[in-house]
Amino acid sequence: MRDETFDIVVVGGGHNGSTIAAYLAKSGLSVAVCEARPECGGGQENTEPRPGFRIDPHATYLYGGAAPGFDQLELWKYGMRMVYYPSMSGVVTLDGVAANMGSRWRPDILEESARRFFPEQGGGGGLVDALPEPAMRELLRSLFWTPPHPRQHEIDEADLPWWQVFRKHVPELWTERLLDMSYCDFLEEFVPWEPARVLGAMGAWYCGAHPNWDGMMLPSLGGTMLFGYSGGSPRGGMHTYAHAIIRCAIAHGARILTNSPVEEIIVRNGRAVGVQLSADASFPEKTIWARKAVISGADVKQTFLHLVGPQHMDAGFAQRVADVSLKGGSLFVMSVICRELPKYHGREDAFPEDIYPSCVVGPADSMDFFYAQTRDAYSHKKVPASLTPEHLTMMICSHDQYDPTRTVDGYHVLSPIYLECPPPQYDVDGPEGYNRRKQEIVDAALALIERMAPNMHADNIVDVFVNTPYDSEFRNAGMSGGNWYGARQSADQWFGTRPIPELARYRTPIDGLYLCSQSMHPGGLCLMAVPYNLMHILIEDGIVEPASWWYPSEWYVPESGRPMAGVAR
Amino acid sequence: MMRRGYGIEPTEHILDEFPEHSKFDVAIVGGGPNGLIAAAYLARAGLRTIVVERRHELGGGLATEETLFPGYYTNTHAVYHMMTDYMPLFRDFDLDVHGLTFVKPNAQTAAVFTDGTSLMLCNQVEDTKDSIAKFSQRDANSFGKVMRVWRRLVDDVIAPGTYLPPMPPMDMIEAFERTGAGREVLRLTEMSPIEIINELVEDDRVRMLLLYAACMWGLNPHESGLGFLVPLYVDRAANKALCYGGSHKLAGTLSREILRNGGVVLDNAEVTSFIVENGRVTGLEVFDGRVIEAKAVLSSLPPPLTFGRLLPAEHVPSDLKRVAGEWEWDDWSFFTLAIATNEAPRYETDDPWVNDAFMVVTGFDSTEQLLRHWDNVLAGRLDLDCVGGHATVETRYDPTLVRIPGHHVSFLQVHVPGEVDGGWKARHDELADCLLARWGRYAHNLTPDNIVLSRAESPLDIETRLPNMVHGSIKHGAYNALQMGVFRPHDTCVAGRTPVEGLYLCGASSYPGGLVIGGPGYIAANSVADDLGVQKWWAPPRYVQRYREVYLS
Repeated sequence: MRDETFDIVVVGGGHNGSTIAAYLAKSGLSVAVCEARPECGGGQENTEPRPGFRIDPHATYLYGGAAPGFDQLELWKYGMRMVYYPSMSGVVTLDGVAANMGSRWRPDILEESARRFFPEQGGGGGLVDALPEPAMRELLRSLFWTPPHPRQHEIDEADLPWWQVFRKHVPELWTERLLDMSYCDFLEEFVPWEPARVLGAMGAWYCGAHPNWDGMMLPSLGGTMLFGYSGGSPRGGMHTYAHAIIRCAIAHGARILTNSPVEEIIVRNGRAVGVQLSADASFPEKTIWARKAVISGADVKQTFLHLVGPQHMDAGFAQRVADVSLKGGSLFVMSVICRELPKYHGREDAFPEDIYPSCVVGPADSMDFFYAQTRDAYSHKKVPASLTPEHLTMMICSHDQYDPTRTVDGYHVLSPIYLECPPPQYDVDGPEGYNRRKQEIVDAALALIERMAPNMHADNIVDVFVNTPYDSEFRNAGMSGGNWYGARQSADQWFGTRPIPELARYRTPIDGLYLCSQSMHPGGLCLMAVPYNLMHILIEDGIVEPASWWYPSEWYVPESGRPMAGVAR
Repeated sequence: MMRRGYGIEPTEHILDEFPEHSKFDVAIVGGGPNGLIAAAYLARAGLRTIVVERRHELGGGLATEETLFPGYYTNTHAVYHMMTDYMPLFRDFDLDVHGLTFVKPNAQTAAVFTDGTSLMLCNQVEDTKDSIAKFSQRDANSFGKVMRVWRRLVDDVIAPGTYLPPMPPMDMIEAFERTGAGREVLRLTEMSPIEIINELVEDDRVRMLLLYAACMWGLNPHESGLGFLVPLYVDRAANKALCYGGSHKLAGTLSREILRNGGVVLDNAEVTSFIVENGRVTGLEVFDGRVIEAKAVLSSLPPPLTFGRLLPAEHVPSDLKRVAGEWEWDDWSFFTLAIATNEAPRYETDDPWVNDAFMVVTGFDSTEQLLRHWDNVLAGRLDLDCVGGHATVETRYDPTLVRIPGHHVSFLQVHVPGEVDGGWKARHDELADCLLARWGRYAHNLTPDNIVLSRAESPLDIETRLPNMVHGSIKHGAYNALQMGVFRPHDTCVAGRTPVEGLYLCGASSYPGGLVIGGPGYIAANSVADDLGVQKWWAPPRYVQRYREVYLS
């Protein structure tokens, strides 16, 4: 038997686990990644349940285009390729309105829609125009690719990285009032057209930034900007991006142990020293030791309540972890194989084939639809009690009009079709509620799509695949509640308070144990941001010394709290 | 600005992508087992190597995917790894570091009959004899004796010959005449599988199971000329191994070796053509317009694709143009019904050990039924009154495929014609229903409430997933005397070299053939290393060297 000791052991080969492995391996450390499933990538997954058709059960767009990781890890070397879309999104209503919002590559499409639907307002560009490159990249990096400030560092508004960027680039546009707004407040004030508001609200929701959470306007806006910024998806789907990251890690010597679920993070004398794999792990030696650190890519609840265990923490801490809210990121995901793309309201001219939006949000008649759905998910805590249209606004994605690798000739794949819903833990019908109602929800959703796009009748539909948040928990051990962003992204759980204040800097009460999952700032979306941010902390703790390819966030505040260099204050 | 169906040119730089134009020493078309093996050897030899794969995952037939969606992984293609004892790969690379593990259970291949009796081919010959003795003590005794001989034929002649270039027929006869083992191989070659099995045992059910094992990889029971494969297949039917964590793990493991040695893998990258300059293949083009230059281009695709599609027609030698046009695809394929269940299929038989068997054959109570089935398959008929096949409970030996506690994935696989009257789309559901009903006759717990999900895939589905396997040709082309040995794919293409400079073949349509035996990839890697003048870091395994000394000197 080999002695399996590494500098770093990473729990979970999902997006964040793979990325931190790549960063650390590239820095010269010996790294092992323990992944439960046969394939790494976590939510960056593409699968072919029916021959020739690739579906996206989880992540679907590249949000991370502004990530330092692309050049720091040189993902191009490992096969990273993109497909950019002329139209990212569209919006439809029950009354037959359909607007094509285009993409950053085709602003003319949005302008055309804007002229048509709210001529009095002029073009739509607005904020995006206000922040031309490189200000936009700077803004996104300040929001997402910056570690939260140290706890002892006194924070006033001027310390918030994104506030600094706004003040630097568009001082006339921004007031402190914006810091208290919800994104819904912002949409109400600045977006003149109801369906566009619904698109904005739903879009933010699907970007992990719930629009109705107070004080979260800027992160929510940033989340939707991430979507628009990259303007496309990786060739073949998100798994190509995962492959590039994993292959980078392997090329730099990381060991990837698939089919090797971690059962326990081993803690000795208050220090994490390794992991115990399950007895059926494919690796012969089931105890993997870590010389320098164990890094958990599992969500915060899995990490502490299951992998570390309450025996290593006080009751107060355990309760705070147990109370981390999972509301918000659980999705009921459908994938539909069909012969024709939906033709909304029979108006074929709404979305011509060459600029067909890669996602369509609808029905988006009124913000009431949005609120009805959030009440179902968060207040009533159940999958829609009433399956009427106002409870079923969906985001219907299709990529194959721009990427033929995803389908076979003559067919399209609508995948994913996202429907927001409560995490199984909160569902008043219990975790199995979904599985009992799966077919009912699918039937209602398909009937609604047909109502909006009459060609989506039964003859046009070849196959339907569904994964509920409950299924996702089994498929992705690190996604408690099937929640892809690991902890509600509310003001109580963002930046310096995410997921709870004492964990915000990625360190834990257990020496040598660090957190690198979507529960951490800035959440999910496969941004390579959590690992990038964690790198700052690992450098600070003397665990890693990357070479000259590394550069820190310019808003990073070291533990000592000394002022940052080179930033106007 | 916009190529239809391919997205749009970004007007601002978002991130660096894999370059439009790149240069490698070696480019390999197809990331199946042979492409990956060739790449792993050559990358470690210091050659800058790229594997270009059409699918979103590497592995080709080494596929472990969530086809029972959501939650249940199954090996959609290769399951029974029969050459793990011999593949040089496992000696040359330390694949344990990646957690690659094979499970080779003792309970290997069982047959269950409608009267509740059963027969088991075990890894340990004495256990097999014990089982055969239930039917015929005489057969048990002769099976034991013959297996000792056959094991030597496999060890000394058939297996090592898999990893060296083939000899022309006359040379081979001359060489094999030198030894007793060689002469026995030659004698068997001239016999048909049914003749060999009939000579070996008398009991009809024992004959049925041995014939099933002998023919399950596609030998025509009545055809002579490839009889040397019977000892191999019967021996290997008792030596199959399961790749723990799924067959894809082998692909993942090989890709890790490639990457560690500076190689690159590009997926979602269907190759559309080879680039030829001055009669020499100098690279390839991917569907998205990317160009990859290479000193050696290795194709793992069969001749109709390599020579009929990718190599521009004006550069295809006339012999190979003919081979591409007349290539015979496999004359059979598989139809597979995969199921996810609450409890594993349970067979009611005289020997509960059958429930541990890696493979369970059902549907045939007699040799006559099996022969009728094969006659149907080879004649392109689907006869639902005479259907049988082999089943495996994948989670019996690999619980990692399903993380839902207590649940299982299993499949029943039957031989079928690659094409059927009316087309597979029309016959698909009918056969799937029939198989489930048939399986339930032997495994009584396959009731509707036990089945969570099911999915059947026909040869057409195989071809859709892996378009190089036309009509579901899992071996990339029929095993017949004209497409075997030095003629696979043609006698101008020996040891992976082709008459076209810079172009090599490394797939299952090259000698020795398919089924994840790793021969074509290994042989091609040797040729490319020689031709590019790099030091080989590996040496043939001792048993291959011994074969070379005895038969090739």
